[in-house]
Amino acid sequence: MLLRYWPESTNIRFMSLRMGGALLSVLMITASIYFLAARGLNLGVDFAGGTVMEIQQTETVTVETVRAAMPFTAEVNSAVGTDARAIIVVKFGAADPSKLGEEFTTLKPEAQAERAQQVTNDIVKETLMEKLGLTDEDFLRDDSVGPKVSGELFRSGILALVVALALMLAYIWFRFEWQFSVGAVAALAHDVIITLGVFSLMQLEFNLTTIAALLTIIGYSMNDTVVVFDRVREERRKYKKMPDRQVIDQSLNMTLSRTLLTSGTTLLALFAIFFLGGPVLRGMSFALIWGIFIGTYSSIFIASAIVLSLGMDLNKKPAEDVTGFQGIR
Amino acid sequence: MLQFPLWKICLILGIMLWGIMMALPNVVNMSGAPAGVPKQGVNLGLDLQGGVYLMMEINPDEVVANRLEVFAIDVRNALGNKDGKTLIGHLPTIDGRTLNINLTRPDADGNFPMDEALTRVRKLNGSVEGAIGGAKTYDIEAAGPAVIKVTVPATSEETLMKDALAKTMTIVRRRVDPEGVSEISITPQGNNRIILEAPGEPDATRLKNLLSRDGKMTFNLVESSPSAIAAAEKGVIKPGYRLLTGPETGPLLVRNIPEVTGADIATASQGYDDGNRPQINFRLNGNGASKFYQTTRNNSGKLFAIVLDDTIMSAPRINEPIPGGSVRITGNFSLPEAQDLAAIIEAGEMPAKVQFLDQRTVSATLGQDSIRAGVRASLIGLALVAFFMILAYGLMGVFAVGSLAANIVLIVGALSGLGATLTLPGIAGIILTIGMAVDANVLVFERIREEQRSGRSPLTAVQAGYERALSTILDANITTFIAASILYLLGSGPVKGFAVTLAIGIVTSVFTAFVLTRWFTVMYLKGFKPKKFAL
Repeated sequence: MLLRYWPESTNIRFMSLRMGGALLSVLMITASIYFLAARGLNLGVDFAGGTVMEIQQTETVTVETVRAAMPFTAEVNSAVGTDARAIIVVKFGAADPSKLGEEFTTLKPEAQAERAQQVTNDIVKETLMEKLGLTDEDFLRDDSVGPKVSGELFRSGILALVVALALMLAYIWFRFEWQFSVGAVAALAHDVIITLGVFSLMQLEFNLTTIAALLTIIGYSMNDTVVVFDRVREERRKYKKMPDRQVIDQSLNMTLSRTLLTSGTTLLALFAIFFLGGPVLRGMSFALIWGIFIGTYSSIFIASAIVLSLGMDLNKKPAEDVTGFQGIR
Repeated sequence: MLQFPLWKICLILGIMLWGIMMALPNVVNMSGAPAGVPKQGVNLGLDLQGGVYLMMEINPDEVVANRLEVFAIDVRNALGNKDGKTLIGHLPTIDGRTLNINLTRPDADGNFPMDEALTRVRKLNGSVEGAIGGAKTYDIEAAGPAVIKVTVPATSEETLMKDALAKTMTIVRRRVDPEGVSEISITPQGNNRIILEAPGEPDATRLKNLLSRDGKMTFNLVESSPSAIAAAEKGVIKPGYRLLTGPETGPLLVRNIPEVTGADIATASQGYDDGNRPQINFRLNGNGASKFYQTTRNNSGKLFAIVLDDTIMSAPRINEPIPGGSVRITGNFSLPEAQDLAAIIEAGEMPAKVQFLDQRTVSATLGQDSIRAGVRASLIGLALVAFFMILAYGLMGVFAVGSLAANIVLIVGALSGLGATLTLPGIAGIILTIGMAVDANVLVFERIREEQRSGRSPLTAVQAGYERALSTILDANITTFIAASILYLLGSGPVKGFAVTLAIGIVTSVFTAFVLTRWFTVMYLKGFKPKKFAL
């Protein structure tokens, strides 16, 4: 019993649609840049500094009682936590130094700046424990990030992203040709910018885990692009007289059933995680689901289209020069 | 592609056996197993088991200033009239990273004894430990006719920081884990940071209280006359004394120069007084005990203050000389307070105050929630993938699902065997890997389909399919592996946890999808010799 859901061979002329694709991408990128400039990213405590607390909700511990007990201004909301637990999320920055006790005011200004967040956190926690009879175990999560570390985390995250991209591109260059490398960079940059635009548009929290998610999108998009490129290279060598455009269309059609099967299977798993994995995994699985769509799209309409515009040299070289892996058995 | 000689089969089985052995402790309690069998499951990150993460920093400015303060005491001795030398009058002041020694007593002609003072101070200047070319700890030079400037050069600061970091780490360890039994991990980061990870510990505030104290302990004589204290409270402080206070004693005038310091404390522990209330006992070393005996013998009737970080802990009256060096502090301590204070006193004084930069606390409840949700989601996702693969590829789908299951076993086994830590983003990494393993299988199967359509027999189609798909699979996985390694090297926290499982997963995915599935397929084809290969 085999599922024959897809015709054995298709002949979609993807490359004739590439101008439409380019237009769509330009629109999406422009919109993303506009949103990033106008609304910015909703930075989580990892990158913005500050404290986020998750408190177990009970009959006596509610948004109202927590709000009433808070010694400083804070954002207090109820939410559904991991494994459908009812929680209260409290977010706040450093309180005014004059409210942080006598000992604090004697500190040097630079020590105050770094310590204010932690001291605020301790006072809030102590006050809530006292007024609402909470224990340590009721604080499901309590993260406080000072200004120094949040800046560093942001820089190191971006650095990791940029270096990873650069090395992947170097590898593509080494395995294929510079035209492919350019196509892959453009596709990845496209994916990253539009994903950031979506984060800005929906004001989804952008934190360290999101960087991991962004990298996963890049990983997926890259994987898809490489699969297409590999086929293009192979077909190019096989049909030396065929025009580039036809070679690319043919390769895209040949990899289409693979693309749909892999994406379909992975999407199925991801939707399961999205709905059942709790809020932490929800952000991650949302990013992955999005990544599969945008990654598949960009492999066709950005990466391949650019290779077509730039032209290929592959047919001029003998086959042995390009495939380094044929020797492996 | 189709040949599986005995050694290859042994290798495949060996790898699988290793994976199962390593993964087994995660599902079965192995505590009763014979020696040599792994008993430890995967290390769970703090986000999955609950606990406290603290990032601390020591400030180089403060380390340097503290060092200069100590040097100032040596200078005072060297410029004094000991060993038949003449006294050179001076006033030391510390200004940021500089110690200024102002000479205060010119001779009859109005000249200051600069040369003599420089010679004596320079004699104190030791070499930097381990430095090449005998670099000195301090830069000492004359700045004007009556000022000697002491600074710390960059090379020696590096050594000082290394030293301070190592000392701070030891003290942190002794304070938070006095018995040395807990699983708290304390690791350095860069040249001035320490990361503390305490699994299972829910109380970050207690840890921070333990670590934010200097732990500077002194025993000082006290001026307790009410008139002197009243004058001091109005701002007229008796020279050589300072006004300190404590919860038990109220304000007292305490002599600036201590009689005995924390450096002379050998051990400290928590005990009970006659009323069964918690107290802190400690024992002085030989040097400290003799100084303590001398002081108590010469100052009968006076108060003797025990001062911790400028707070008077207790100030008992000296009734008789106390030999032996056993001292105790009684007071209104709760049991945990007394235990923490004993740990702080025993650990000694921090080279510089630690700053907390980043604190993350996850309760054990939340950790369990996350594991449950993550595992449930993964299992459902896997079941769906398995269903879909079998639906699409029939028997080959079954082979693929078999090798996917093997993939999970190998990932868990490798994580356990390598002692890597599994975090929540790590679970996401595993999910991505499974996606890539599915992709590898799909790539091969689609290739075999194509080859069959062009009229090849099952065996040659499989052969060609695997050969053609190899370069694609390797290209795709090597690219991702490059990304994973960079993330591991440059990333922090969650990004790192993600990178570890991704890197491990890529290796196991390529192995299971490319080797294991192929082996299953070849065994089936050679065993059953089907005319038409349903795919």
